[in-house]
Amino acid sequence: MRAALYGAFLLALVPMQATILHYLGLGGVRPDLVLVSVCLIGFFRGELEGFLAGLLLGFAQDLLSAGDLWFNLTAKSGIGLLAGLAGRQVAHVTAAVMLAGLFIISCCSGVLFLFLARTGDLAAVALAVRSVLVPQAVFDALLGAGVYWVLEERVRDRWVLAE
Amino acid sequence: MWMAIFRSTYGTRRLAIVLFALLLSVLFLLPGQIHLLLQYLGGPVGQVLGVPLAALSAVDRGLAELWDGYVALQHVREENEVLRKEIEELRGQNSQLREAAAATQRLAALLEFKRKGAPHTLAAQVIGRDATNWYRAVLLNKGEADGVRPEMGVITPAGVVGRVVKTTNSSSVVLLITDPNNAIPGLIQRTRDEGIVEGTAEGGVRLKYIPLLSTVRAGDRVVTSGLTGGFPRGLMIGAVTSIEKEEGALFQSAEILPEVDVSKLEEVLVITAPYGNTDASAEDLLPSRPAAKGTP
Repeated sequence: MRAALYGAFLLALVPMQATILHYLGLGGVRPDLVLVSVCLIGFFRGELEGFLAGLLLGFAQDLLSAGDLWFNLTAKSGIGLLAGLAGRQVAHVTAAVMLAGLFIISCCSGVLFLFLARTGDLAAVALAVRSVLVPQAVFDALLGAGVYWVLEERVRDRWVLAE
Repeated sequence: MWMAIFRSTYGTRRLAIVLFALLLSVLFLLPGQIHLLLQYLGGPVGQVLGVPLAALSAVDRGLAELWDGYVALQHVREENEVLRKEIEELRGQNSQLREAAAATQRLAALLEFKRKGAPHTLAAQVIGRDATNWYRAVLLNKGEADGVRPEMGVITPAGVVGRVVKTTNSSSVVLLITDPNNAIPGLIQRTRDEGIVEGTAEGGVRLKYIPLLSTVRAGDRVVTSGLTGGFPRGLMIGAVTSIEKEEGALFQSAEILPEVDVSKLEEVLVITAPYGNTDASAEDLLPSRPAAKGTP
């Protein structure tokens, strides 16, 4: 039952991002549900699950986006893997740690996109950083930390955390 | 404070790293093949995604209707005033158009040509927006199964919306005219000068590469030039709002106010064949005449 719910959640995540999430957006920018989810999955469930979730969700995101078919697939699977590796190194997990971690990861993902987009126009890059990259990173960090804060008790009991 | 102890073992960590390295290697070494493979896999994955996408877009429409029907009612009075004025103007235009319609009977042959040459379109509903924040794109509820293919033009009765860049079996992604990655050949209707219509980083639209000697001015209408496959000639793109001429530049450019408000799209038309039935012969285009009796 839990596996079915988990599967349904993963399946609905990208369509949710493409449809109803714009109600949460500010200035046309929405949080990246896939990035946040993959980070949390990688962080708490380990590298392999983070990598596989990133691979699947990234591909789904690529299918429903105007970009190339490989960018999110690669970026999100890498993020899942890195989140899993980082999770091993973090001794004290708090909502503040999640906030900072997700902000940095989201910024890195945005920088990678802008670098690969090879936009020669520096003014356009500056505008993209100001109007998309930073607001999205703030959104992602707040959402991830909020989800972690809400689920903290469950995570501690069920997933793997010990005193 | 507590410490994280994870289930992952050293083996799974190594496996994940190896798989990721393999993925990167394949992407770098075989980009063409991996692209084909991803396109192939996109079919079934897109079909699976189509189910929650359709359900959630129905929820989205319901929420939008709720918003339009109740919450946004406070603006209805002002909107009514504006609409009333528009109706008055349109009544005046309507009588002029009746006159014009009478004149078109003389142009039956041209009308016939227009009917045969009109683009074939397919109506589609906008069911979502790009799944990332990096592109200005919308999702349509029609895909390959309905005959939608990449590079097809997308319009509304008002004008150009964008072009299809990606399709799955049941949905397609349309890159809007306001996206900087979009480029559509345009034509200034009055001067007949051609240029390239591109989106801007700010979300506007710009006509680039206008010849320096062009007499383009604010208010000029810009239409599609028909040079690419997706659009026939003459579809409205927008009106010029300002012109930019840089010292020493080879071309000038112009800001355009798009005719279609792409932030409020609900239904669109996908151009499946820009020139409709193009195999019509010249004789087909002439008005049909009954054979006169008794003529030699």
